[in-house]
Amino acid sequence: MKKNNLKKIIWGASGLLAVLIIWYIASQRETLGKLLPNPFEVFKFIFQSFLTPIGQNTMMMHILWSMSRVMTGYILACVVGVVLGFIVGWFKVGEAIIKPFYLVLKSIPSIAWIPLAIMWFGIGEESKYFIIFIATMLIVMTNAIDGVLDVNKDYIGVARMLGTTEKQIFFKVVFPSAVPQIFSGLQVALSAAWATVVAAEMVRSSEGVGWVILIGQDTVNMVQIFAGIMVIGVIGLILASIMRGVEAKLCAWNRRGK
Amino acid sequence: MKQIIKKYQYQLISIISIIIFLILWWLLCDVLNVFRTTILPSPIKVFKSFIIKLTSTVPDGGTLIKHIGSSLVVVISGYFIGVAIGIPTGVFMAWYKQIDHLIRPLFDFIRTIPGVAWIPVVTVWLGIDLTAKAAIIFVNVFAATVVNVYSGIKQTDEVQIWVAQIFGATKLEILRKVAIPSALPYIFTSLKVSLGMAWLGIIAAELLAAQSGLGYMIQVARNFGRADLVIVGMLTIGLLGAVLTLILEAVERIFIKGRKL
Repeated sequence: MKKNNLKKIIWGASGLLAVLIIWYIASQRETLGKLLPNPFEVFKFIFQSFLTPIGQNTMMMHILWSMSRVMTGYILACVVGVVLGFIVGWFKVGEAIIKPFYLVLKSIPSIAWIPLAIMWFGIGEESKYFIIFIATMLIVMTNAIDGVLDVNKDYIGVARMLGTTEKQIFFKVVFPSAVPQIFSGLQVALSAAWATVVAAEMVRSSEGVGWVILIGQDTVNMVQIFAGIMVIGVIGLILASIMRGVEAKLCAWNRRGK
Repeated sequence: MKQIIKKYQYQLISIISIIIFLILWWLLCDVLNVFRTTILPSPIKVFKSFIIKLTSTVPDGGTLIKHIGSSLVVVISGYFIGVAIGIPTGVFMAWYKQIDHLIRPLFDFIRTIPGVAWIPVVTVWLGIDLTAKAAIIFVNVFAATVVNVYSGIKQTDEVQIWVAQIFGATKLEILRKVAIPSALPYIFTSLKVSLGMAWLGIIAAELLAAQSGLGYMIQVARNFGRADLVIVGMLTIGLLGAVLTLILEAVERIFIKGRKL
């Protein structure tokens, strides 16, 4: 097992190294060099950007700006999404009332909300919160609905036979068994929130990681664009692993997908 | 009569809920004038704008039909190329361990980068014409397809592979006759997921840099304070996305008979 892991790491590392070398050689060529920045310059730029500001803020501040937008919209969306998901999944009448709007909203990509959000809330922070809220709420809600609907009917039957009330069934049977599904929704939603904040910042903002790459485009600064993309990727990776860690802790009894 | 109502009571509630929503929206806008039309136009105004926009080129220089056509051409071309390259890549990554080990870490990293983030790169490289947009869609679709196809092939039942091996199937035969058919539901899921990605990508690309398309239309409408056109655009985007998904689901039913994931 251990030997296998070592082999994996060596292969993976050599793959990454090969890409770096090809990238470097390509960036040294006359024509390609204009399109592709030197990878080492990109890394240097990333380090520098934490010390010297791009625009008004250093890279760290840009990241924090984006994160604060993501978190506000995301947390709000998680609460609303889970509640609505339970209402739609558990109450037939609730489903009948909410489902039509849910279907319409679900078919509209979150990014298409950006213009309307700007018209409604202006170009400030509220519009970004709103866009992230819309983007993530539906994902969380979808998973909560599926979680409730996927509950093993036998468990409910058993609980009924033992004389539990509807309220007890919901809190003791349905809710716990929907948790893993909800968690996978929360994970997907966080990644989606991160992608959405980048888009929202590219359309309209004056700080944040999306802004960094957009300014890179406007000034045809390929180094800055690639540095921004790498930072976005790394943060996305960190967010995903944090969520996976939290899930492993909280849902250790379930081990979804193993 | 009573029985009919009982049978369809939930559908009835759905319809009533939509009607109440529309009436409330109309009351707030047209009767009570709570919102200005630049913020929230009434449903009647939205519907009228939709009809007018079908043939009118104001204010963005294209009719609704033209914008739809422009967006669809880009989405479909980028989508097909992305899927055509993504499916084989996913299969090879999952089937050949060496390839998997070699490109997995790199791929895991690239996958976390949202497709939108590539827009500046593509814009600098290719400009803002059709090729550039298709390239953005391609990146979006490719990553999503590879991930899903990869996990589909990985989920192949080992027992089935052993059986095939015992009967003397070569590795290629196992891939063709066992792994790929059993991954088919996953492949179709990936087709659906990446269609959503493609649709999202085109709107993002058109919001940022374009001269036609639905995303461009709503962006211009915003600059002119035409909330009615923004909503028309959004609903059209949603409707088209739903229609494309339905078409894909119909194709899926033809290929996967009786098997459900």
